[in-house]
Amino acid sequence: MKEKLNKILKLDRRYLFVLLTLSIVIPIIKPIGIPSKSISTSTKDTYNFIENLPEGSTIILSLDYDPSTAPELHPMAAAVLKHAFKKNIKVIILTFIAGSGGLIDELVRTIPPQYSKEYGKDYVVLPYMANPLAALTQMASDIHSFYDKDINNKPLKNYEMMKNIKNYKDVAGVIGITGTALLDYWVVYVGDKYGVPILGGVTAISQVGYGPYLQKKQLKGLIGGMKGAAEYENLISQPWKGTSGIDALNIAHILVIVFIIFSNIVLLILKFL
Amino acid sequence: MNRKFLLASVIILSLGIDAFSNKSKDSIKQNIEKIELKNLSVVDYPSDKGNSIILYFDKDEKQKNFQYEIYLSTDSTNWIKAKQAKYDELSASNIELPFWMWNKKRNINALAIDVTKVFSLQEDDYFKQNPKGFSVYAKVIAIGDNKKYESQIVKGIAKANWFRVDRLNNLVLVIIISIVFFMIVSHAKKRELFIRKIAGLEAIDEAVGRATEMGKPVVYVPGTGSMSGISTIASIFILGEVGKKIAQYDATLKVPHYDPIVFTVAKETVKQSYMEAGRPDSYREDINVYITTDQFAYAAAVDGIITREKPAACFYMGYFMAESLLLAEVGAGVGAIQIAGTDVDTQLPFFFTACDYTLIGEELYAAGAYLSKEPMLVSALKVQDFGKFLFITFAIGFSIFLLIFSKIETSYAEKLLDIFRVR
Amino acid sequence: MNIIKKYIPLTIVFIFGIITLASYYVPHRASDEYLEWINKWENIVSAFALFLGMISLFYSHYKKIQRKVDGWGYSLFVYIGFFIIMGAAILSEGDISKEGKLTYLGWSFNNIYNPLSATMFSVLAFFIISTAYRSFKIKSFAAFLLFICGLILMIGNIPLGEIIWDKVFGWTKLTIGEIKDWIISVPSTAGRRGIMIGIAIGAAVTSLKIIFGIERGYMGKE
Repeated sequence: MKEKLNKILKLDRRYLFVLLTLSIVIPIIKPIGIPSKSISTSTKDTYNFIENLPEGSTIILSLDYDPSTAPELHPMAAAVLKHAFKKNIKVIILTFIAGSGGLIDELVRTIPPQYSKEYGKDYVVLPYMANPLAALTQMASDIHSFYDKDINNKPLKNYEMMKNIKNYKDVAGVIGITGTALLDYWVVYVGDKYGVPILGGVTAISQVGYGPYLQKKQLKGLIGGMKGAAEYENLISQPWKGTSGIDALNIAHILVIVFIIFSNIVLLILKFL
Repeated sequence: MNRKFLLASVIILSLGIDAFSNKSKDSIKQNIEKIELKNLSVVDYPSDKGNSIILYFDKDEKQKNFQYEIYLSTDSTNWIKAKQAKYDELSASNIELPFWMWNKKRNINALAIDVTKVFSLQEDDYFKQNPKGFSVYAKVIAIGDNKKYESQIVKGIAKANWFRVDRLNNLVLVIIISIVFFMIVSHAKKRELFIRKIAGLEAIDEAVGRATEMGKPVVYVPGTGSMSGISTIASIFILGEVGKKIAQYDATLKVPHYDPIVFTVAKETVKQSYMEAGRPDSYREDINVYITTDQFAYAAAVDGIITREKPAACFYMGYFMAESLLLAEVGAGVGAIQIAGTDVDTQLPFFFTACDYTLIGEELYAAGAYLSKEPMLVSALKVQDFGKFLFITFAIGFSIFLLIFSKIETSYAEKLLDIFRVR
Repeated sequence: MNIIKKYIPLTIVFIFGIITLASYYVPHRASDEYLEWINKWENIVSAFALFLGMISLFYSHYKKIQRKVDGWGYSLFVYIGFFIIMGAAILSEGDISKEGKLTYLGWSFNNIYNPLSATMFSVLAFFIISTAYRSFKIKSFAAFLLFICGLILMIGNIPLGEIIWDKVFGWTKLTIGEIKDWIISVPSTAGRRGIMIGIAIGAAVTSLKIIFGIERGYMGKE
């Protein structure tokens, strides 16, 4: 009995991998449709912030994630962009991560046409910049002195929506969606320093670390992980990849909990044998 | 016919509106009385780049229901409306300056105005054309009791300042810490200072010894930070000490790199370690290898190195993000003894579960002092202890102070909060 | 030689360290211009360092191919991968898409880089489950407390967890979301703040050590 239990405790991890794979793949192929009961406060705050902005306001959407974190962050970026366009809010999209180019390209190819939004009038995309600190500091005085051209290499000043945008004072808020620590930069160098409302979207694992910022209202709202993305899609009534992934998330989480409890029960039994 | 009638109506209507508005303007102009607002002044906004002013004047109880329009001009003839606000919306507390620069209790109407926004000036041109300051005229139109009152015209200059007096609290703290730093470091060699045992650093000998016995390499991962990161600097120092031990034991070392600058520095460090250990012949150029500056490609490459080389010991020291568990779990899978250290708190749980020893945050910064036992570095650790002691004292002491004085006399509580506010 | 290798770098670090520290207290535009200038230099130096790193990378893999060591085929892939993507980038003139159509670079990004990067991140999920099964042993009260908090956070993060909680503990009139928010905002934040403050103080002292030349790890060893 003891030997068997020890064998179970030292189970080849490949069996665990197979079980996890099945728990993720099956709900994606055949969705269960587990309903979401509540929406977290921080996601609701982000939604309310955009919902309460007057038409014609401008926000900065900083999309700083690469394909590795795209499954969690791309759906929330899409949801935020759709919400902004729905409310006729102008969006300045920028990035400090080299690998995000293709993802941003996908967003601006597919979403603006759905809302009849025009480039230059309703949204602009700024080119990748390697030095976030320099960009964040410079944009406080003059965005155009740092970003003189857009991603298409055309003068930024010539675009209709950028004619009245000089610095953070002309922007209603910043939403930073990132899998890195860049949101901290926005909070410290822009939010705290210039009083610009900062909101964020992060991976589920990083969400816990932003507790202090949310408590002190340094962050006005936060969308956390795939669940946050699904909640936001629910709020704007536009289910997409966040919603479709939530079933797999449910089952996988339960599986991990079951494994931990199971291994500890086996350990307890071994202790008394 | 209909079109001509419509056109004529529009013309007549617009002329009528124009005549009416002119008449209104004339009647308004006739209704504007002169008023002398007491102590109306325009001063430079202190501790700024030179693009803001503060306009203030004494409060008048008789104007409680008034609304104010503030006008600015560069030549006292062409006026631009800068702001509009009610009596209640203007007060000294609007100005976000600390108590040592501005008295928020004064009974005045006050407002901070960004002149570049009012006059729609490009900041670059503004600063180039006004190196000595920007002169501005101001006047206030008070609206109330169905009348308009125009104030006297005052002049002020928005100037660039050279010192942020609002950050004086921060500067004082830096000076205190620096003085304590120099005092403690200058007494470094006078007596031996105690550092508690850090298990992770004590285990380095054990890890390297194990690698030598098993004839397997040691893999040292310096993290995915840049050379400007303090954790990376600490990691390179530890690499030097680990390199020395490995050279002494004649084991094999592999250091895959994420950042090319860190790679260059690490090369020099490891080379020097081998020379200090008296084994320059054992040093090889391929100990340090630059992989890539892509996070997951780097993790994949290091995982590949660990899986193929099957090291006896793995060190993960520096700045890590999501790749921490990818590396640690593969290392655990090959049975290596693992020692990790990072200041990224989100990755600490992963290192705790997958590694044998973990250095948390400042234990990584203390590693330099701990391993080398250099008196100057050890005494610098004491400065950290002093800083923590200062923080704990302030946190407890001033929390009690705030609790008491927020009930008795709120101005003291506000002044105390001002001292600790970050600007 | 000592002057070039030791004293000049120390002097440069000291001067620029003090000026950069002072620029925090100087609101004048000169301070912003200095920071901009420094950032530009940092970008230039990084670009050259990247070039050096790439030379080292290609050289070490060339040696592996030449000596036909174990796994030299992987080294061949370094060259193949590099030249394929470089070629795609040159042909596409650095654009991901042109006139709504994906370029060669865009196709490579979407069909090679994206899936590879996402795969590596996905491997984390498998490693988490194997680490949790292998290492999460409740051997003390602290570990038990950690397990309970972790369990609440995990259940709180999924809709199914909310349903399970309401069915089992609905009588407490507390939702799992409220407990999860309390755990994140009170004990977790308190612990995190302590660590953050310690790290900040450590960083400040280490910076002083670097500026005043006591810590010289960045220069390589003497």
